[in-house]
Amino acid sequence: MRNGGDGRARLLLVILIVTSLFLITLDLRGVKVLGGLTQGTQTVLSPFQRAGNTVLTPVKNFFSDVTSLGRTRSQIQNLKNENAQLKLDLLSRKNADGELEQLKKILDLAGTAGYKVVNARVISQGSSQSFSQTITIDLGTNAGIKRNMTVLSEFGIAGVVKDVYPTSALIQLASDPGFRIGGRIAGTQQIGILSGRGTQNASLQLLDNSTSIVEGDVLLARGSIFNRPFVPGVPIGYVTGADNSAGAVAQTATVRYYTNFSTLAVVAVVVSGPTSNPGDALVPQKPRPTPVPTVTIFVTPSPTPSN
Amino acid sequence: MLTRQISISAPIFLLIFIIQESVITQFRLPGGGFSLLTIFALTWAVLSQTEAAAVIGFSAGFLMDLSQSSSGPFGQWTLIMLLAGYAISYVGYGDDNVHGNAIGTVFFVVIASFFVELAYLISGVLLGVPMPTFGRIVITLIGMTLWALLISPILLPLFTYLHKLIINSRSIL
Repeated sequence: MRNGGDGRARLLLVILIVTSLFLITLDLRGVKVLGGLTQGTQTVLSPFQRAGNTVLTPVKNFFSDVTSLGRTRSQIQNLKNENAQLKLDLLSRKNADGELEQLKKILDLAGTAGYKVVNARVISQGSSQSFSQTITIDLGTNAGIKRNMTVLSEFGIAGVVKDVYPTSALIQLASDPGFRIGGRIAGTQQIGILSGRGTQNASLQLLDNSTSIVEGDVLLARGSIFNRPFVPGVPIGYVTGADNSAGAVAQTATVRYYTNFSTLAVVAVVVSGPTSNPGDALVPQKPRPTPVPTVTIFVTPSPTPSN
Repeated sequence: MLTRQISISAPIFLLIFIIQESVITQFRLPGGGFSLLTIFALTWAVLSQTEAAAVIGFSAGFLMDLSQSSSGPFGQWTLIMLLAGYAISYVGYGDDNVHGNAIGTVFFVVIASFFVELAYLISGVLLGVPMPTFGRIVITLIGMTLWALLISPILLPLFTYLHKLIINSRSIL
């Protein structure tokens, strides 16, 4: 260990510490002193991110297949029979099909509710080093995207536009611990506030405990004034556990998001909300059980018993 | 001397930052993944004197604050990386177990990356940054430390070579 330190090093350290604290203070007081620099950095970085996404997509697909090796053993066995070129084509096709499928469902969702949306591709998954959950999309202010717009996935809410740059935008995912959204239970219309937990589940705190919620209840976005940051009626998730204890001041519940945040490839940003509240129109239909045919066999005894 | 070292190091830091933001963040790695810039800056700080290490930490932290995935107030990473860079260089200064031994350097970097993440977490709580669940925090802390343990030995020869090249560039040039 160093025995003491010279005056110059200490002075430098003090100056740098004071500078850091100055930056933190300015930021916490809302002075966007470095806002332009941050925007500029993102503008410079977005072509690199786009290029990285294009180049690394086959590699990501490969790792995705490796991680699901146990679940898709039979599928991988079949793929082994194909030649290398076909494998490459299949991987590219698989990616395009997946994005197309997601896009189709997003447009169905937006069309049913009357949202005007802009579709965007996810070009970067935010690092979780800062304990936040974000993604970056390839469209920004040039495509009409602004801060605090709702972002949809194929299944419902994906997040909200946190920061926007000319050619890209940062999306705060609904799973982020800082994410908050007002929701209402479909049917009973109970309202509450949902908070992200950093996982696929979120915490719902209802504002009134006059009625009880049950597992399977669907939670929809309540909507905001002028539809920002949230448009009404977007499916958020379904209740997986509820605390209906009598002594509680407010009911709490665990809600599982419909959106799978780890597989987001295409999202839609709602640039204009619906003219009328879609109500419960977007509640996902529960899967219908396939009827099992009943086979009835009639046996007619023969008039004369055979030997 | 210090100014010359920093001016030569700056493009390398920028390159690492671009790689981190455009390549590493493409993968949603288990356990939170790793930060190439953190590992690089800490390794660089271990190999440098305290003055240079403080400036390196400050610069790396500033870049990390510029990252769009940074959730805390601007300057939080700057402060933490500055202190981490200074501390790691101060503790390891003159210790041959650190400078002359690759295992010692890796050990220092891994431990430092754990404490850097922990410091970010604690300061984040104090500054009112929203935090995930306790389980998620534990997974991220352990995951990032393990990633640092995996990545540091692989990249250490490259980082050490670059450091030697820059520090001794006067005689080379």
